[in-house]
Amino acid sequence: MTQQLAVPHLDISSERFRMNSREMRRARADHWYARTDWGIAVLTYEDCKLLLKNPHLTQGSAKWPAHHGVVDGLYDRWWRKTLLVLEGDEHNRIRRLVNPAFSPRRIEPLRPRFRALADSLVDEWVDDGRTEFAGRFAAPYSTRVLCMMLGIDEHDWEEVYQLSSTIGLGIGITIKENIARIDDAVAELTRYAESLVAARRRSPRDDILSALVGARDEDDGRLSDQELINLIILLVFAGIDTTRNQLVLTVASFSEQPDQWEKLAADPDRYAAKAAEEALRVNPIARWVSREAGETFRYRERTIEKGTTIHLLTLSSGTDPAEYDDPDRIDLDADRSPHLAFGGGMHHCLGHFVARADIDVAVSALSTRLTDLRVGEDAEWLPDSGNTGANTLPITFTRRP
Amino acid sequence: MRILVDRVRCQNHGQCAISAPTNFELDADGELRYRESFDDEDASDIEDAVDSCPVQAITLDSDG
Repeated sequence: MTQQLAVPHLDISSERFRMNSREMRRARADHWYARTDWGIAVLTYEDCKLLLKNPHLTQGSAKWPAHHGVVDGLYDRWWRKTLLVLEGDEHNRIRRLVNPAFSPRRIEPLRPRFRALADSLVDEWVDDGRTEFAGRFAAPYSTRVLCMMLGIDEHDWEEVYQLSSTIGLGIGITIKENIARIDDAVAELTRYAESLVAARRRSPRDDILSALVGARDEDDGRLSDQELINLIILLVFAGIDTTRNQLVLTVASFSEQPDQWEKLAADPDRYAAKAAEEALRVNPIARWVSREAGETFRYRERTIEKGTTIHLLTLSSGTDPAEYDDPDRIDLDADRSPHLAFGGGMHHCLGHFVARADIDVAVSALSTRLTDLRVGEDAEWLPDSGNTGANTLPITFTRRP
Repeated sequence: MRILVDRVRCQNHGQCAISAPTNFELDADGELRYRESFDDEDASDIEDAVDSCPVQAITLDSDG
């Protein structure tokens, strides 16, 4: 009989906590989970993989605004009805209608447009030898990709980006003090979404929004107008900052492994998709995926009480030495188990095919043009909370001849 | 036409069961169970299931 070690505690609510730390690795070596101030944090690949899809667990974020004293208003009403927090039949009915709009079949034809956008952004600063990558590439790229998909005029990207960032404050711990601004942003996006839907209804195009309007109108009543508008706001909220920060983290990770960056540059067609997956595995923007126990159940040696919050730590599962060889290194030739950075089960990230395509197109474009990547000392990193990244990412590089 | 699922790729996310519950379901252990044959009236749901699989593990095979 091996001695059962005491369950470690990880201070994930501290701004100073880093997932990518010796402390996390020590905890993972000792035990499959850690205690935290916000429920339990699951550390190993095997357990995260199982629990992600465990039927006893719900997504569990529906009450987030209420936990912070926000119990009414536009944001709260929008949030409680987003696909992200719905469960059961209501979730499945909507998810079923929107999934096809985000499938590879819809995304693949957009790749050349993603590539043209990436190249044009790089052109703006490639001769300078330095840039602020988050503001001069990641933000405009991720926002304009979303504009493309929804058929929003790309000239409006800065306004869309601002609205997205403001709504994003709703998942931060400062939600209560910002709620008036957040509600205003939801109101403005609602008006915007209504005009987009009306335009597509008059003249459909070959874009995701038309596909959604089609799903709405084809069989009246399957997707209400309100559900469609709610979804458009969700896409603006969930599809911009996430990709922006994942691009920032991807570039930061590759700057530490120039050999893999050069390998990618030499054959982007072969390696770009793998590069995106490896960056998501070792440096994911969503540092954890949350669940809540919908009922009391037994798991391994413990009973998990109904209502327990469970954080599945993505960086920890993605770098678990029990699952991956040389786990902390990006290795474009290794055959890796799928990472869990997009969550899983019925709430698996809806936009993952879009995110994967636009990240792999971006790293193709960037690696082809830039070598000698270095991140400046003055980068402003965000804390390692549910979502991480950087406010600014100054980089220097050499332009490839 | 019949449905083929690559069991090595499949991660049991269950998006197929959301798209086409007539042919796909997750059992009590969360493992995928599916029926290979389908009726014409369900074809469009089956295509949605193929498209929606996060790991693209489902293909349609013409069974001659």
